[in-house]
Amino acid sequence: MSNFQNGMAPIRAMEDDSDVEEEALVADYKEQVQYEDGLDDLDTAGGLSMTQQTDDIQSRLAQAAQPLDFSAPLEVKFQSYDAYCSLFHFILNSEGPVDLEPPSYYWAWDVIDEFIYQFNSFSSYRARIARQGNNEEEIQMLKENPNTWGCYSVLNVLYSLIQRSQISEQLAAMKRNEDPMAVAGDYGSKNLYRMLGYFSIIGLLRIHCLMGDFSLALKTLDDIELNKKAMFARVMAAHFTTYYYVGFSYMMMRRYGDAIRMFSHILVYVSRTKNFQKSAQYDSITKKNEQMYALIAICVAFHPTRLDDTIHTALREKYGDQLLKLQKGGPDSLPIFEELFKTACPKFISPVPPDFENPEANIDPIEHHLAIFMDEVKTNMWSPTVKSYLRLYTTMDLKKLAGFLEVKDEELRSWLLVNKQRTKQLRWTENSLLDGELVNVSDLDYAMQNDLIHISEAKVGRKLVDWYLRNLSRTYA
Amino acid sequence: MNSNGEDPAERPQEIRNIINGLERYNPEAATVLEAYLSQQCEQKFCDCNANRALLKLYQLNPDRIKDEVITNILVKAMTQFPSPQFDLALHLLSPSQTSPSARSELSEAVDNLRKLNLQLEGAQYARFWATFESDDIYADLTTDIAGFEEMIRLQIARLVGNSYREISVSLLENWLGLDDEAEVRRFVSETCGWKVAEGGLVQIPKNAENEAKKTEIREDVNIDMFSRVIKRSWEETA
Repeated sequence: MSNFQNGMAPIRAMEDDSDVEEEALVADYKEQVQYEDGLDDLDTAGGLSMTQQTDDIQSRLAQAAQPLDFSAPLEVKFQSYDAYCSLFHFILNSEGPVDLEPPSYYWAWDVIDEFIYQFNSFSSYRARIARQGNNEEEIQMLKENPNTWGCYSVLNVLYSLIQRSQISEQLAAMKRNEDPMAVAGDYGSKNLYRMLGYFSIIGLLRIHCLMGDFSLALKTLDDIELNKKAMFARVMAAHFTTYYYVGFSYMMMRRYGDAIRMFSHILVYVSRTKNFQKSAQYDSITKKNEQMYALIAICVAFHPTRLDDTIHTALREKYGDQLLKLQKGGPDSLPIFEELFKTACPKFISPVPPDFENPEANIDPIEHHLAIFMDEVKTNMWSPTVKSYLRLYTTMDLKKLAGFLEVKDEELRSWLLVNKQRTKQLRWTENSLLDGELVNVSDLDYAMQNDLIHISEAKVGRKLVDWYLRNLSRTYA
Repeated sequence: MNSNGEDPAERPQEIRNIINGLERYNPEAATVLEAYLSQQCEQKFCDCNANRALLKLYQLNPDRIKDEVITNILVKAMTQFPSPQFDLALHLLSPSQTSPSARSELSEAVDNLRKLNLQLEGAQYARFWATFESDDIYADLTTDIAGFEEMIRLQIARLVGNSYREISVSLLENWLGLDDEAEVRRFVSETCGWKVAEGGLVQIPKNAENEAKKTEIREDVNIDMFSRVIKRSWEETA
């Protein structure tokens, strides 16, 4: 048992709040939006001749990217599923690759996004009908078509698009700095397939997360590098969605530092681009934006850390009161954790049809995932209290501290162990999103010598680079 | 992930192919993964990643569910405490089958295991052993997992070693779920290599975790952080 004696020296996590990456992205995006504006002008000028030539398949492509009305009747939802099936069947199973150009560079994203959105809302709807148990007609219809919007068929579509387009191979080649076209094959060299394949990967991330498989969700992104060169960065909604689901999955895997990094990145990006966002596009992400602030509040409560100034200010504006309660911990914080989790989590689904015979047996999956999450919250809820006391001393007698806190000695021993164990977290450094190094994420450390607690606090030296760069760019501007 | 309970070296090629490819969706793969789980239970290693692939198959094909496989997966995940492994497995169970209100045999078993796991995650080790001894149901639930108690005991000892420099024998007796002081003395000296000093205090040698050394976090400054400023000043003068 040699690991009892000599572990690796603890690695202190370095805060990475350099925002070079975000700034570069912002610049890229600005360029692209301006470019796109130019395109719009061209479109309207030449629009007439284009519309005259619209043929059936082009309108089907466009249709697939159109949002379905939320209140559409069940029949329409069924029809929409059939329309997707036949479109994907045509794209995947025609003889050889179909010769089509996607209507726009964001079309493929819109299609996959809408496809998954409809799957998601159909599943939620079906579960609600089963729970309510009073709409006989729809229950009958749903019972007769258990495979419509079935999980296996949705997964099948996404995996088939990924395989057909050889997108994983292409991305791997790009990582090695080789030409992706060399491995793209007949299908993957076409824009249509490449884009559909690419966004299907992000679609899978989302589906796995919706079904509660958070590690598989992160694993699906193995081939995609999260940086400004990523293809999704060109489509704002895709960019945004990716970071939301990656951040959420990290949070559920207790990798709060990584989750905060993801949310911060995208929120900084949004706050910097909002001035040149088209308003409609911006409105649609406002809700997810709020959700991510709520998730950051949760993560910061688990893992206190210094946030980017912009985010910190916005967080205090939006969730100031809640954040204070979360950070204080204890039983009073529990309802706040629940409330924020519920407003900010994705709309979890159950992958199989509900039990229509026993309406009360169909529990909302959100409650299921929330309950599991709350177990961990409860386990950690005394950590803020423990930390706030320990910060005041360099040595402290356990019995005396237990007296201050009015708890039993044994209880306090558990709190101390829990808090110390949770300061070890996996933190991503390179490669796959699931990889990481075990680091010490707290500035407070302690060890027990029987009932005597030895405490040491890491001193954080002043951070000057960020301040310096910020002011420098201000004088330039 | 670093923790070997996620991707253990013992994982055979066949299993690797299943969980890394589309085969993980083939309902027939469940049989192979179930056999692999039995192997983990007998040979005292743990592959939470592969076990989640099995839970996922159950999630998609509820007709294949075997109750004892689910509980064995949970018990294996529990031995990885403190970690998110147990929770990650729970997330893949169907809410209607596992909620205590379902009152099925499985949901009761899951509820009991969840209680045990919470005590381990909450570092309430004495309470864990008390619960474990309190009802035969726990022995039944863990019976397939060879060396369950031993693995838990070892892990608790490891965690104690990461936080304590000295600890009383009587406290350890409760935490390790051992019957008397003599057993504790034997366990710490033979298994952990720790010494027991006069007065019944176990001495734990220094390690990276139980030192609580003072450190200073300094800012790491490198030239890349300034690259844009430099580029900009270059461009403006040029």
